[in-house]
Amino acid sequence: MRAAKITSQALRSMNRNRTRAGLMMLGIVVGISSLAILSSIGEATKRDTIKRFKNMLGTFDTIIVRPGGSRLRGMPTLVNVPPTLRFEDADAIAAELPEVKAVSEVQTAFDIDVQYRDRTASPAIFGVSRNWLELRSEDVADGSFFSEEQNASLTRVAVLGTDVRNSLFPDEDSLGKSIRIASVPFQVIGTLKSRGAGPAGAALDNIVLIPINTSSRRLFNRDYLTMLIAQVKDTDRSTETTDKVAALLRERHHIRPPALDDFTLTNPAATMAQVTRAGSTLTKILSGVSLMALLIGGIVIMALMSIAVSERQKEIGVRRSVGAGRSDIVQQFLLECVLVALAGGIVGLLIGIGGMEIVARVQKLPQTLLWGPIVKAILVAVGTGLLFGIYPAWKASRVDPIQALRS
Amino acid sequence: MAGRGTEISQLREIAMIKVEKLSKRYKKGESADVEALKEASFQISRGEFVCVRGASGSGKSTLLNLLGCLDRPSSGSYRLDGEEVSRYSDKQLSRIRNTKIGFIFQSFNLLPRTTALENIEVPMVYGDGCVDRQSAREALRRVGLGDRAEHFPAELSGGEQQRVAVARALIRRPALILADEPTGNLDAQAASEVMGLLQDLHGEGRTILLVTHDPALTAYASREIFLRDGAVVSDRELGGTDREVQGAV
Repeated sequence: MRAAKITSQALRSMNRNRTRAGLMMLGIVVGISSLAILSSIGEATKRDTIKRFKNMLGTFDTIIVRPGGSRLRGMPTLVNVPPTLRFEDADAIAAELPEVKAVSEVQTAFDIDVQYRDRTASPAIFGVSRNWLELRSEDVADGSFFSEEQNASLTRVAVLGTDVRNSLFPDEDSLGKSIRIASVPFQVIGTLKSRGAGPAGAALDNIVLIPINTSSRRLFNRDYLTMLIAQVKDTDRSTETTDKVAALLRERHHIRPPALDDFTLTNPAATMAQVTRAGSTLTKILSGVSLMALLIGGIVIMALMSIAVSERQKEIGVRRSVGAGRSDIVQQFLLECVLVALAGGIVGLLIGIGGMEIVARVQKLPQTLLWGPIVKAILVAVGTGLLFGIYPAWKASRVDPIQALRS
Repeated sequence: MAGRGTEISQLREIAMIKVEKLSKRYKKGESADVEALKEASFQISRGEFVCVRGASGSGKSTLLNLLGCLDRPSSGSYRLDGEEVSRYSDKQLSRIRNTKIGFIFQSFNLLPRTTALENIEVPMVYGDGCVDRQSAREALRRVGLGDRAEHFPAELSGGEQQRVAVARALIRRPALILADEPTGNLDAQAASEVMGLLQDLHGEGRTILLVTHDPALTAYASREIFLRDGAVVSDRELGGTDREVQGAV
């Protein structure tokens, strides 16, 4: 009851000094709105990056091995893949490393036309193992994936990504139809679920999957791999497992120091950690900027409230004379500072949320209203009011009621 | 009824105010302290109407601040309603001011941009926190301003403002009313209205201490304490014989 009364008095006092209260709020408004916008953008960017990585990789428990040393850059095509990563390497990793749960062999080509009747598409052709779907957390939308038997018997079957299906079969069912991949006929047995965009905006749905043995013997005519994917059992130990894979491959490829590896390993978990860390650093820097604004806002509150204390000496004297203790005066002025800051915080948040919407639209980021930053922003605002209210509140409590009443 | 009578007579036995060798010294730079009040000793019974007089600088204000628990004495004893308050903490003194003392100032000291009614409610905030709007309205009616509840001080005349201040002083039903030149800023008509209110409060059994340098106001009082240079130089029943002045130089 007493707290409620003091609060309502503080609110009334703010209402009586609207201009001053508005000025006091200003810094907090700027600080909190930028804090809300920036930290939400940071967070949204981070989530978006993680999502894109997830889209591309499916899971974060795989190690990707590519042939060629680290000098090799860019997307491998039929011509520039070094013939060093063999099917036998994949078998050896699966057989000899207990840390590896499963291995998927991959052959890719990016320069092959796929035709259906008079329509042509140029998707990425992936020759993959039967376990591709599990390793990538992918799924078939229609039809089915190929079986181990179909792989073993070099069956010419294909599973289409949604982009390919849409461009080749815009208005008919693709299942059971015969397409030509580099003039070799394949039967469509399934379509994949859409995966959305990858980290660099890569079209992950512009893809055709065929059995690896079929791609090796009937299409690409090569007995080496473009990529192999090893799924680790224990994601916490993915770095060690990566090292073991590297050691095994070096041994098999007879590489001894100082000779360089003829393969490149990517540990997605490590990459992710790096990306996430970079994201959070960005968030921290941006938050720092807004904390600066909050600091200024806090100082403004402190300065204006100190002036208010000087002007309201008589009020303080009157309150003291009718029974207000020093602690009551401290409470009153602290509360006024907190309420001003809270009001500033709420206004700042509203502006921030509006700003977020605009930025999200312009930057094409997912519109995420994150409760974490909102709660944080409110707490930061209240905390700022409390912190910078201490001095004026203390000053108010030191006002001599005798002097104040006489003036 | 008989029981209540004895209760009141027992209460009367405890002095409302009892000060002994009450002194207040102020430090003034490097030089010797200024003694604003020198070993004042007197006793005021419950229900008395006492007038404290003296020239400016005679120690009236210092005495009033001490008796009003706004200040602590440098030495000496002050028993208010049987309670030794001279060494009380800020919190304890605040409680005393809230429950036992009602102030009326020369300059009214109402909170600006706060309605008459809200001004009267302020002491209740610092009491048990229970703001009883009804009793605030009642107090306002009592001083004849029932129709001015929502007016701001700036919209009221001086006399009306002082009557709001009187209502504020009595809202917590204090036993002691301290009035510091309550008519100093008022015209004769308003002054007599305010003094009439004080007289009514006195009639209800409240102890009134009126600080003034206006000899005309002594007519309302039953006793006069006169100060000069921080010392009590005369303490007499008005219309009666002089009391012995204790501790005066």
